[in-house]
Parts: sequence; C-alpha cells; structure tokens
Amino acid sequence: MTVAAGLGYALIALGPALSIFAGVVARKPFLVLTLLTSTLFWLISLIILSGIWRVFLPITSGAWWPYVILILTSVAFQEGIRLVFWRLYKKMEEMLDSFADRISKPRLCLTDKMLISLAGGLGHGVAHAVFFCLSLLTPAFGRATFYVERCSRMPFFLISAVIALGFLVIHTFSMIVAFNGYDERKRSDQVFAPVVHLIASVMTLMNLAPDGCVIGTPLLCVMSAVTLQYCWRMVWQRLSEHQHRQFNS
Amino acid sequence: MGGGSVASLILAIACVFQAFFPPVASGDAATLESVPDLVKAMYINVESFPCVRLLNHSGQIGCSNPGHDKIIAPIVRLRNRNDQLVQPSAVLLPLDQMTDFFLRVSNDPELYRKIAGVLVEANGADSVLEFSPDRKFPQQAFAPYSNLSHHWNPAGSGIMWNKYDFPVFLLSEESTQTLQKLADKNEKTPNGYLANVAEFDLVMQTTKAGTHDSESCLREQSCLPLGGQSVWTSLPPISNSSKKHQKPIIMVTASQDSGSFFRDRSLGADSPISGLIALLTAVDALSHLHDMSNLKKQLVFAVFNGEAWGYLGSRKFLQELDQGADSVNGISSLLIDQVLEIGSVGKAVSQGYPLFYAHAAGNSPISKKMIDVLQSASESLGSDNVQVKPAASSNPGVPPSSLMSFIGKNASTSGLVLEDFDSQFSNRFYHSTLDGPANINSSSIAAAAALIARSLYILASADLPIDLITLNSIRVNVSMVEELIECLLKCDPGLSCGIVKSFISPSNSCPSHYVGVFQDLPAGTQFPSYADDISRFIWNFLADRTSSLASNSSSCTGQCRDEGEICVGAEVEGGGRCVVSTTRYVPAYSTRLKFEDNIWHVLPVNSSDPLSAADPVWTESFWNTIGLRVYAVQTTAYDWLVLLIGIIITGASYLAVIVGRSYISKIIKRD
Repeated sequence: MTVAAGLGYALIALGPALSIFAGVVARKPFLVLTLLTSTLFWLISLIILSGIWRVFLPITSGAWWPYVILILTSVAFQEGIRLVFWRLYKKMEEMLDSFADRISKPRLCLTDKMLISLAGGLGHGVAHAVFFCLSLLTPAFGRATFYVERCSRMPFFLISAVIALGFLVIHTFSMIVAFNGYDERKRSDQVFAPVVHLIASVMTLMNLAPDGCVIGTPLLCVMSAVTLQYCWRMVWQRLSEHQHRQFNS
Repeated sequence: MGGGSVASLILAIACVFQAFFPPVASGDAATLESVPDLVKAMYINVESFPCVRLLNHSGQIGCSNPGHDKIIAPIVRLRNRNDQLVQPSAVLLPLDQMTDFFLRVSNDPELYRKIAGVLVEANGADSVLEFSPDRKFPQQAFAPYSNLSHHWNPAGSGIMWNKYDFPVFLLSEESTQTLQKLADKNEKTPNGYLANVAEFDLVMQTTKAGTHDSESCLREQSCLPLGGQSVWTSLPPISNSSKKHQKPIIMVTASQDSGSFFRDRSLGADSPISGLIALLTAVDALSHLHDMSNLKKQLVFAVFNGEAWGYLGSRKFLQELDQGADSVNGISSLLIDQVLEIGSVGKAVSQGYPLFYAHAAGNSPISKKMIDVLQSASESLGSDNVQVKPAASSNPGVPPSSLMSFIGKNASTSGLVLEDFDSQFSNRFYHSTLDGPANINSSSIAAAAALIARSLYILASADLPIDLITLNSIRVNVSMVEELIECLLKCDPGLSCGIVKSFISPSNSCPSHYVGVFQDLPAGTQFPSYADDISRFIWNFLADRTSSLASNSSSCTGQCRDEGEICVGAEVEGGGRCVVSTTRYVPAYSTRLKFEDNIWHVLPVNSSDPLSAADPVWTESFWNTIGLRVYAVQTTAYDWLVLLIGIIITGASYLAVIVGRSYISKIIKRD
C-alpha cells in the first residue's frame, strides 16, 4: 500500500486531533499538560483493565457474548476513571483559584474550564487512536493490503482509522458534556457521556458479523456527529446564559 | 471484520501486558495477537521448490530472476493450451500442462515477454501418463557409439536444459490450494483495484555478477561446481596380506543421484535409487557368507555420485585410479576384470514375474559369459521365476549409464548394465518430480538384488566348482528393501527411519538425491565435512556389512587406532565402533576442474581423455535467499485517494476549529 496510503490512514485517524491541538491546545501550555495527563490516565486505566482481563484472554469461543461482557466492564471502568479525573480536576481548580486570588489575578472563567475539559477529552481520544489504530499502522506502509474475511468490502486499515476517528470525536466532546454535567449537576449531561460511550462500543460488535462493518462504521460516524452536535448546542447555551447573567449582574 | 475494534482491544491488552506477563500461545490461527501476526497474515509465505540457475562451459540453463530485484506479478491461471496473457503475470500451471507450456515459451517470444514467473501446481499427477524434462537421449555426448538418434527416453522433452529468464517454482500440495483460491479471486475482480500478487525472490549471484558460463563464474566466485562424495567398499576387506597377492576385481556399481527440473525434488525412485537399493541389499545378502576370501576374485562395490551431471563420480574415480590416489588405495585399474552396473531395476515386474535385461558392453566373450552367469543365477532362484535376457541387438549399445565412463576410458572393458528395460526406458517419469515410490515395485528390486548377489558369487568363484548349498543360501532380506524404500524415497519416516538413524544423524528428514555443490577438500579426505546424508549413510551401511570383527570394539567418534579400521556410526549418540573394513570416500567432481590458489580453474580439454570433450563442467550459482510470497495489492490510484481523504479531513477539521473559535469569541465579546 505504500507510504502514501499509510500516511493517509494516519491522517484520517489523527488529523482532527492535530487540528484541534494546533488550533486550541497548543496556545496554552496548561492545556498541553492537561492533555498529557489525561492520556496517561487513560493508558493506566487500560493497563489495569488488561491486568484483570489477561486471565480470560484470548477468547477462543466464537460466540459474541464474552465480548459484550468485556465491553461493559471496560466502559464502566473508564467512566469510573472519568469521575476520578473530575475530582482531581476539581481539586486542582481550587488550588489554581486560591493561587489566582493570592496574586490578585482573575480566576478560571467558564471558557477556560471548557477548554480544560476539551483538552482532557482530546487526551482520551488521542490515546485511543494511537493505541488502537496507529500501533497497527506500520504494515500499512508496506506493499500489501489486508482485507479481513468478515469485512471484504473495505481494507482493514481504513476501518481501523475510521473507528479511531469516530471514537476520538466521541471522547473529546463527551468529556466537555460530562464536565459540564458534573459542574451544573445536570442529570442529562452527566448521563450522556457514559451512554454514548457504551452505545458506540457495543456498536463495534456489529463488525463481528459478516460484512457488518458496512453498517457498523457509518453508524459510529453518526454517533460521533450526534455527540458533536449535542456538545456544540450545550456549549452555545451555556456560554449565552453565562453572558446574559454577567450582563444582567 | 473479526472485531476490528475487538481484535484491536485484544491486541492492545496483549501488547501492554507483554512486559508484565509471559505471552500465552494461541492455538486459533484466525486471531491476530500482535503486529507480527498481522504481517504474517498479510504476507503469506508459500511452501515451494525452486528451479535454480546452472551453468556449463558454454552457457546457462535453469531459472532465475532477470535482475537484482524481486519480481511481483498478479497470479493468473492458464487452463488451456492457447490462452493468451494480457500483462506480465505469474502463471499458475497444472502439472500436466508443464511440458507443453515450456516448449511453447521457448518458441514464442511474445508469450515469453509476458511471463513474470511460473508456479507449477503439485496435483493433477494422476492424469499425467508420462513426463520427463530430460532429453530423449540423456547425456548422449558420453555415448561410446555413433548412433545418437536412438531414443532411450521417448517421453523426454528436454525442457530442463533450456535457459529461462524468469523464476519457476513447484508448489506443495497445500500451497497449490491456496494459490488456486487466489487466482480465482483475481478472476472475479476484473476491474483491477485489488490484485493478488506473487512475489518471487530467485535472484542468482551469477546474474548479478554478469558471469554467464562456468569458467567466468568460477573465477568471479559467483558459483560452485557440482559434486559430492562417492563411496566404494571391498568384500571381503582388503588386508595388508592380500595386497601382496592381489586378485582380479569384479566392480559392481550403482548411482545415487538424480536430476530434475526442480533441484529439491529430485527423487529418482526408479532411476537410479532402485539400483542403489538393490546394491545395498545384495551386499547385505553376501555379507552372511563366511568364506569370501577363498574366492578367486575380489568384489568391489562402488556407489557413484554426480552421475546425472556428466558422470562426475565414475570419471573422477577412474582418474583417481590412474593417479594412484589415497582414496583408491588397494585397488588398481589394471586389476578390474569385469564391471557389473545396476541401473534402473524397479519396474521389471511384467505379467507377474520380474524380467531384466542385460546390456553388454561390446561383444567380448567375457561379457557373454557374464550374461550366462546371470542366467544360471536366475535359474538357481527357481520358483521366484526371475528372468534375464540379453538386450536387443538392435540397440546401438549400452544405455546412458556409468559404464559409458569405463568404456570411454578403455574401449575393451567387459561389463554389462542390468536394467528393467530393453530398447527404451520403462520409466515414463525419468528425471522428473513424479519418479517417486509409486513408480517402483519392491519385489522387482528384491528380485534384482537376489539375482545380482548370486551372480556375483558365481562370477567371483570363476573356475572353482560352485557349492550349490552356499549358492542357495544366499537370500535377500525383502523387508530391508521395503525399509530402504521408506527411508530413501519418502518424507515420512524418511531419513529419520530406524536403519538410517542407527548409522548417522541426518540433517533433514526428507531425502533429496540432487548431488549439490562440491565443498570438501578437492584432494579427497576420509572425513569429509560436507558429505550429504545419503553418502554418509551408504558409507556406514557398506562399512558395517563388509566388516569383520575388530580386535577391540571400543566406542569411537572419529579415527580408530589401528590402521585398516574405521569408525562406523560415529555420529550416533554414544559413538560408534571400530571395525575392520575397506570403505572409502572418493571425491566426485568434474575431471576438468582443478583447485588452485583458492579458486577453481577449468582445465582445457584433455586429448588423452575422450570424455573430457563431452564434459559440460556443470556449476550452480550462489544465491542470497530464495523465497515466494503472495499478498494482495491495491492500485496506486487508491493509495493517493486515501492520502487525499486524510488531508481533506485534517484541513476540514482545522477549518472547523477556526470557525468554532471565532464564533465562541464572538459570544464572549458580547460582554
């Protein structure tokens, strides 16, 4: 498939991440730190998960229900980690606010907090893409291509890149929604991230069926579009309300 | 998709945990557990046997990649004779089409240009009635007579002696199935966005060095001459006392090597391994006699190597005799009275009873006497009903055999070749991959061995009265014949069988009877480092069977203390034992080669040796690696499309980020 295709697949998976990084995160060093921390967090969660699941792998039976259990436990664990991440962020926010008070500089405003959650989500998404797509991409730079038996329409690397892209968008923007939900104690926002994560993960099981990838992958893109749209609407609402309050006060 | 995400999840988990836990081997071939597994699933290594580049003094034969690089071409099936190729392709060919295809290729430059490589299927052998890539008169330049138009091998096509500038591989049974599936897949997707290609790696050193004949390639050291080790033994062993009163010698010879289009698939069951097995069995039968030293003549058994490539073994043996070399210490060419060669004896059973033909060298009375002896031996075998007839007088002379070297040296040699055919080979698969154990009959070989053992006893007795009781006690071990067929002609048990493992530790279970290249000391050594498994087995077997008890049978791994003693079974665990036997290695390589200053030199044609003009001086090219892989490839347009999509997605997302940022700053600036 040569270097051109390999590079293309890498860009499909990580291009938007690069854009967001260059356009938003790279301007503020604190956001870079947040991104790296959240990447690390996600990796650690994966390590712990693999430690627990190592005993049961590899799954040799052809049935799909062991994968459901795998996905359920993994998603539950990672959502738990999200809460831990939130707590750590809250502590750090208190420290930063008290420090700002001491040196009489302004506290963290709403956009700052949203940017931090964006960087956090991006960290998760980048970790997922690097781990699940980029690590497999080295053979894509060679001459041969690969089609899995159960998905004979699209090359393996393309599916892998598209799924990585989908999950990158989902992780990035659902983190903003989740942090907003925890902050405002809004039930719908709090529940949104785990639900979307769970639905998207279970949807990948569709790829186990012969030619299921033709349905599964576009559906995943639909989920990421939904996340993006929900997040955008929520951010718009929140920021407009905030401005109104500030205006009125 | 086997859970693109799920396989990736398993992969990620396994990857992360490599450092912490030892990996557990997965028995399921369908799950990929690491990137190397993925690479292995993408690039499939195909089990195959190559055809390599061989050079002689005037040119080249065989197959090679045309340049320095690998050849990559889509796999196409050629089913009918007149199929045409559209683009340079890797042709998948059934075995029964092989002869026609290669003959067509040599005569059709259009087709030649479109062939990137050839893959020959392994099945379809049942529909092939005859297949021989050798010529109709093999090695005719060595014939001591002038009528060269006789077709000893009527099935011969001569395709193995042509030069092909493309790689050719013979597939194994399983890889044939794989490749047929891929070729069918290629046919189903005609628009060409996806193609299954074969990647041939058959780059030969002589092509890279630009040397196109033996002399230049030996000088540039891009090739090595063909050769190996021949073995001779004496029954009974030659002792110091017998050296003073030397008896006339009856030489019994057989050949141990075969040729083929594909170097690693030279089985040669009928030609010549059936003769080799008959010789070994006859030696075993005669070894039970007690008073061999009272006979009037000495029996010398020789197994020559490299006979298929210009009678290297027999000619070198005769040269060593002339030079009085150490390897033939104890015998002299003046003493050789009669030569009895055992040729192809595996297909003699017709109408239920074995019938052999004796091809005599010339019309001397001694040769006629030899045929009479054979006939009396066959009568003594009684109810076994083994028959021997002299070969038809319409034959121009002896068939292609080592006897030609003896006759070439001394035109008045008395000898004969025992074969299972009269005027034409009964072996329809001479020097092909189909000359396997199914092509021979063990009872035919056993009958030949019995015939020869008894004839040798009669011949060695010369004018002494024959003791009929002793003669009738010479019996052949039929189960040994069957065991040797299993060992020397099959992969299972192959060389891991009991009788072979009791003498040597083989390097490979699958036997191959291609002579290979000569790497030992050209001057000859009794402890060669590069003798192949078959030569070492023959040496140990003959030493064991012709031995008399040693004075002190202690364990040995190399040399024995007493002169005249040799170590049998030195490679086996626990060492071997020293026995008194005269069994020697004789190097087998072209008499036109001389090793000087660390390089092989081709000597000019020797006018005193009439066969040196006929010697092609075969050499085999060096190579780095030989391999065959298949994988799927996309068109370059698709690759660029993917890159374009990636760039567009990155660009579009960057645009979206900028637009989003400006919107949000607008909302904030309302403040």
